[in-house]
Amino acid sequence: MSKIVAIKIGLASCGIAAGGEAVLAELKKATDLPVIEVGCIGHCYAEPLVEACLDDGSSVIYGNVKATEKDIQNILSLAEEGRFEIPAARKAKELVKVLALAGKISPVDFDDYTANGGYEGLKKARMMKPEEVIEEIKLSGLRGRGGGGFPTGMKWGFLAAKPGFDKTVICNADEGDPGAFMDRSLMESVPHQVLEGMLIAAYATGASRLIIYCRAEYPMAIKHLKIAIEQINAHKINCFDDRTIEISIKEGAGAFVCGEETALIASLEGQRGMPRFRPPFPTDSGYQGKPTMINNVETFGNVPIILREGGKNFASVGSEGGRGTKLFALAGDLKYPGLVEVPMGTTLREIVFEIGGADPDHVKAVQTGGPSGGCIPVEMFDTPVDYDSLRSLGAIMGSGGMIVIGNDRCMVETARYFLDFTHRESCGKCTFCRVGTTRMFEILERIVAGKGCEADLDTLEDLGKKIKAGSLCGLGQTAPNPVLATLRYYRHEYLEHVNENKCRAMQCNALVDIYINKDNCVKCKMCLRSCPVNAISDDFVVDPAVCTRCNSCLDSCPKKTIIRVAKGEAK
Amino acid sequence: MNIEFFLDGKAVSAQPGQTVMDVAKANGISIPGLCGEKRISKTTSCFVCVVRDKKTGKFLPSCSARPVPGQEIEVTHPDVLEMRRTALNLLLSEHNGDCEAPCTLACPAHAAVEEYVRAAANGDFQEALRIIKERIPMPMTIGRVCPRFCEKQCRRNVDGEPVAINEFKRLAADKCYESYMEELPVSCGKHVAVVGGGPAGVAAAYYLRRLGIDATIFEMMPKAGGMTRYGIPEYRMPKDLLDKELAHLEKMGVKFEFGKKLGENLQLDELQKKYDAVIVAVGCWQASGMRCEGEELAVAGIDFLRDVIENDCHAANPGKVLVVGGGNTAMDCVRTSVRLGSPEVYCIYRRSEAEMPAEKIEIHEAKEEGVNFQFLTAPVKLEKRGDKLVLTCQKMVLGEPDASGRRKPVPEAGSDFEIEADTVIAAIGQKTAAPAGLPVNRYGCIEVGADAVTVAEKLYAAGDCVSGAATVVEGVASGRRAALAVARDLLGMPMPEEPSINVSRGKWQDLTRDELVVLRDNLSDAPREKLNYIPLTERKTTFKEVCSTMTPEQIAAEGKRCIECSCSDKHDCKLRQFAEEAGCKTDAYSGVRQAAVYDVRHPEIIQDRGKCIKCGVCVKICKEVVNKSLLSLQKRGFKSCVSTAFGVPLPDSCRECGECINACPTGALDWRKKR
Repeated sequence: MSKIVAIKIGLASCGIAAGGEAVLAELKKATDLPVIEVGCIGHCYAEPLVEACLDDGSSVIYGNVKATEKDIQNILSLAEEGRFEIPAARKAKELVKVLALAGKISPVDFDDYTANGGYEGLKKARMMKPEEVIEEIKLSGLRGRGGGGFPTGMKWGFLAAKPGFDKTVICNADEGDPGAFMDRSLMESVPHQVLEGMLIAAYATGASRLIIYCRAEYPMAIKHLKIAIEQINAHKINCFDDRTIEISIKEGAGAFVCGEETALIASLEGQRGMPRFRPPFPTDSGYQGKPTMINNVETFGNVPIILREGGKNFASVGSEGGRGTKLFALAGDLKYPGLVEVPMGTTLREIVFEIGGADPDHVKAVQTGGPSGGCIPVEMFDTPVDYDSLRSLGAIMGSGGMIVIGNDRCMVETARYFLDFTHRESCGKCTFCRVGTTRMFEILERIVAGKGCEADLDTLEDLGKKIKAGSLCGLGQTAPNPVLATLRYYRHEYLEHVNENKCRAMQCNALVDIYINKDNCVKCKMCLRSCPVNAISDDFVVDPAVCTRCNSCLDSCPKKTIIRVAKGEAK
Repeated sequence: MNIEFFLDGKAVSAQPGQTVMDVAKANGISIPGLCGEKRISKTTSCFVCVVRDKKTGKFLPSCSARPVPGQEIEVTHPDVLEMRRTALNLLLSEHNGDCEAPCTLACPAHAAVEEYVRAAANGDFQEALRIIKERIPMPMTIGRVCPRFCEKQCRRNVDGEPVAINEFKRLAADKCYESYMEELPVSCGKHVAVVGGGPAGVAAAYYLRRLGIDATIFEMMPKAGGMTRYGIPEYRMPKDLLDKELAHLEKMGVKFEFGKKLGENLQLDELQKKYDAVIVAVGCWQASGMRCEGEELAVAGIDFLRDVIENDCHAANPGKVLVVGGGNTAMDCVRTSVRLGSPEVYCIYRRSEAEMPAEKIEIHEAKEEGVNFQFLTAPVKLEKRGDKLVLTCQKMVLGEPDASGRRKPVPEAGSDFEIEADTVIAAIGQKTAAPAGLPVNRYGCIEVGADAVTVAEKLYAAGDCVSGAATVVEGVASGRRAALAVARDLLGMPMPEEPSINVSRGKWQDLTRDELVVLRDNLSDAPREKLNYIPLTERKTTFKEVCSTMTPEQIAAEGKRCIECSCSDKHDCKLRQFAEEAGCKTDAYSGVRQAAVYDVRHPEIIQDRGKCIKCGVCVKICKEVVNKSLLSLQKRGFKSCVSTAFGVPLPDSCRECGECINACPTGALDWRKKR
């Protein structure tokens, strides 16, 4: 029988949130075996995850581990109970390259990284001429993973063309989309991989300054990056023949707009994070007025792989619309939310149903690109996921947020939700974005409250198009997308709201009443007890004037006999 | 190397560094923009200056975009203009300010209320009168008889009582009428006939003269003044004052011909032949009947009043009087009857007191003088029994609101009753008796064109004969408009239009005391100054003026109650100017406005954030030109605002250079003292 030689526990933010630290404490109490804190393997639904590494090189993983003696003993005794297996469908579809080391090595152990191929990409790059490195990147077909999809090699070429070394390469780690956590996971789990990509970029473009602009809401990513930077300095990996690369981290204060490159640079310079008109582009005049290039975390995460395996090999994966793999943060109405990595060109159907385990009968659409993106109806799920095909549907790939929308979600409310975010996050500079998104949001609020009219839909469409055309940066240029996309594919739902005061998903509180079906009722009075406003009478009738539609009674009902019905139909 | 490109198809050349807007300007094409300032780095925020790249279809802010060789830029394409209009409409939709004060907007003549109130309160009555007479040529009269549209919209109503605006006109006119004389241009040689010497005719002649056009007023009565003379009783409008007001016109060179009635001894076609233009302002002199059996036995209200006035208030005692009607004429009739010695005076009105169209103060004063009001009472039949008149009446109840918004009275079955009287006066309303040869509309009023005064070529109409019976101030506004139309047609002068863009913080009814934006520093919270009435016994027995003009001290105190609502920047606000030029609407988009937050902690400077468009020019001026960095943009989204660090008052280091104020495109930053 195999013996456990070490235990790994996933302690990225997701693992900690699921209670991983308590499990760690119990493990340390229960055994003297080495317990290694690793990052995230992307299976959020199974956290906390513990991996028992065996002396034969194999390992057994336990999922949803609780800090109980039983669960700990199960692990230490390699019991069958509690074992975690990656779902077969996901295993078949996933291609883990960028995240290969995530959750496998200690994020803060330099040797662990180098022992697993770390810094080989940089070593290889430094044996090449800088322009050869850029050629390799171009050959790989890598496009910006932050959402724009601009060819990375070309961008590098622009910066490399600038004379001298007084140039800056910035890593955009201001991952702000609600529901997106690809970059966080990568930085927390394999910070060295991102830094290696940056160092390769510095070598190729002639930059001598590297800055990571990371949102302050990612303390663990910042901590791990700081440790990694110290290790790089200690090992002098940043010392090139002709210059030493200075690496620093700037913590962003949480403004969504600072993910836009000119706003990000303004923020770095100590100014208010507001975008400016381009040109000049950052490669001409960026940080401190010097040539500057900005890439996303995931883009840098791909770079060492390209150098290691060669651009041509890298490009063999993926489709015309994008090369390599892409990380997606899967969330919403599905069975296996988490972080997945698939080849570009994988269809939405494969991602949502096969990998995500969503119920095909229960899915209405998927929202890609977060608040800047759009929804894609289930009828179009055969679309391959890459930059160009998503854009043609009115959505965008964005940084990789993917939210599955079930049948019981209202599309108007979904649009309102995203507009609520973007209209608040507008920096306030451009008239169209600042006032226009507010007006759109107000109209959506009216519609979900049952107070809209058909003319509102035209106003939404008209304003939406104008906001896209009349805004300086990506925030305003994409903010109307969720509204325009839902209007495009789900106009009937809007029309039902404004013309019939009806929300087919029964989600919009103003258009819904709560009904207790007495046929199945066992008169347990759980609903009465759970109601925070005493809206339910002793004979189980809900007073619609008092009820706040909070769903407490629905959740409390053991017979599931309480339902949401169209307003006025609770009879 | 110059860059060659195209603006609306025209080949143009840009020097290196020039923006599209620079090149457009150099080529005589003006593009509006709110956020550009030569001395600072680009802000590129307002998007009012957008143009379109024809090839890519992309909209570009022309203040920042530099042309590319061969680029075809669309500057005046309808889509481009629509984008600009939308940007401006969005800015208007968040703008929280009053371009113009509500009093001025409410005034039919658009008199600059705030300005004359300030001048009179400061004791400068000459200046006050000058401002008043820009719009109101009969301030002595209107200062007494106006129903005060302005005061009804005054924001001080929130505190209970409006500023006594009309009293400012009255005092300024009473004090300076003799000494004040307009600067008059020499006559241009054109001569206009004005038919009718009432408020509209007088105003038309007055403004014609001020525009350098001679005017002769043809009046059917022995004296001028129209209804202000023959319809308004002496106790409200002393006729010696009216004479003074009209004498001033004569001093200005306006000629009068009396006893001339159109269609009788005066022919329109002859006037048209002899004069360069004719303005018809014959008023509304035909009384409406009671529309009941025996109505011919009643005296018409306006005839009754005219009779008393023509007899210098020495008419016979009318005995017991019934006045039917609820308007100001009815009030004039009941109160005149009291003064003639009537032992019993009734006012019979078919709706309730709340619906009465008469001024509240008139109703109040009539009650004080002992008038008996019979509300919800309608006449059914009038008959003569012996030497008495008997009016059969019916009680009414209020039903659903009618087209006027007032609740419609409906008869109560079996409620008939009789009242006996010596005199029955019908003060129901008036109709226009349009002179023959003029087009009339379905109300019998003279039909006019879109400018509200033009009837035909060089033929105009103004006042009650166009609008139906209205107020003196509406009459003078209409007369002024006719004069301006004449100047437009005869002299080619552009007709000055009122600004079409008037953002408002809202009606006082929708505001609370805390929401009133007070930028002046010495607002008084004292109650409204009281009018000085003569004793009641004297009121009931004589035709002396009921109350006297306020004293200069009272006016000075009252002036401190004025909030001075209008925007300090109303005359040079770029947002307003461009919005007007672009044909914007203040209600194109509805939604929440910016919070009415303002800062008057600095002794010289106001920051009125509700008017800020977030262009950021002040921030950059202070930083890049003044080298102070006292201002910054704060918060995000719709709540973005310009403020000092930590919201502290502008510090001593602000040397009040005024650069930010000069650069501010709106009234968001301004001097506290209105200039």
